[in-house]
Amino acid sequence: MSTVTCPECEAQIELEAGTEVGEIIVCSDCGVDLEVTALDPAAIQLAPMEQEDWGE
Amino acid sequence: MNDFETLIGLVSQYSPSGKERGAVEWLVARMKSLGYDNAFVDEAGNAVGVMGKGSKQAVLLGHIDTVPGEIPVSLTPPSPLAPLPEGEGKLYGRGSVDAKGPLACFVDAVAQVGVKEGWQFVVIGAVEEERDSEGARFVAEQYKPDFAIIGEPNQWDRVALGYKGSAWANITVKRGQAHTASGEQTAAEAAVEAWLKIKAYVDSLNANKQKVFDKLLLTLRGMDSSSDDFQQWASLKVGVRLPVSVSPNDWYEKLNEIISDSRLEGDCHLLVEPTGFAVPAWGCEKNTQLVRAFLSGIRSRGGEPRFVYKTGTADLNIVAPVWKCPALVYGPGDSALDHTPNEHIELEEYAKAATVLSEALKKLTG
Repeated sequence: MSTVTCPECEAQIELEAGTEVGEIIVCSDCGVDLEVTALDPAAIQLAPMEQEDWGE
Repeated sequence: MNDFETLIGLVSQYSPSGKERGAVEWLVARMKSLGYDNAFVDEAGNAVGVMGKGSKQAVLLGHIDTVPGEIPVSLTPPSPLAPLPEGEGKLYGRGSVDAKGPLACFVDAVAQVGVKEGWQFVVIGAVEEERDSEGARFVAEQYKPDFAIIGEPNQWDRVALGYKGSAWANITVKRGQAHTASGEQTAAEAAVEAWLKIKAYVDSLNANKQKVFDKLLLTLRGMDSSSDDFQQWASLKVGVRLPVSVSPNDWYEKLNEIISDSRLEGDCHLLVEPTGFAVPAWGCEKNTQLVRAFLSGIRSRGGEPRFVYKTGTADLNIVAPVWKCPALVYGPGDSALDHTPNEHIELEEYAKAATVLSEALKKLTG
């Protein structure tokens, strides 16, 4: 099991077994979406920004 | 052959909705020449290309029709084989962005990936997306994919995860003639009152919503009134862009509820009539291997991936509720250029998107 630090609030987050690269997790302390970018060693960053625009 | 032959060839086949046949036949021939196992025109008139014969299926659904308004196809600089200063290679033409760019990108990426054991790639150039999505309605019942990628322009480094729904209605007020000195409410006044009630309801529902994707977007598309010797009437054309939380049926029920609550004076009668094809909004699950493969692919090309939610509708809204599989919308191009006289796509962006897509497909089927 790996521990990572939330870049937003610095909470310590334990990654569950079976976590995949690219998985979106939620920081249990601040609620921000985080993306797992590596597993060995474990790394996370803020998940992709959500935008809105028109078009169809 | 060059990296842009599919794109340039497809955009050169002008194909407004209802007149797609030439482009469809060109694309079928193109897919055959690129080594697809099968390519054909289906019963709805869609261009379909199949790569591989595995039991697992990935459908890449683009649309081959465009809005009307032919734009002379031109390249800047004139040859894509010439050295391209960064960001300066552009292809102008109707559909270069919406959405032949994404469709050509699908065709090229699958050709690049080739056959993957256990998998079947199905690339579809659907007809009529700019009208009633007849092509997508047909394919929704023909396939049962393990994952689906829908082609719309969202820039090479963005993954679209949601499109709003839409619903349209005519609201008509009728009443018998009355003397103008009687002070009785006219049909036109009752129609205006109905509109104000609908708008007040929508405003209250939107009050605490931060995201446009979560709001109802109401539009009054037209109003008319007239009378004869015995009757007067007024009508409103009301459109709405729906969030995921409100289905078209929910909306029509609410319209009827608001209208029936209206305190109409005299012998006014109000009628709500749905028009056209209503489609529900759709939001894609973002925690899937499909999305992860795209995030990885975008980063591998030096991009910083972003998610986007759209206020329009797409063929995603038609097929996703039926297929119920992981899905997303992807494709190169700036949707701000959709339907404009200046529609063009940057060749560098097209090439990046084709690479991102082929890397994602390899990862998903490897």
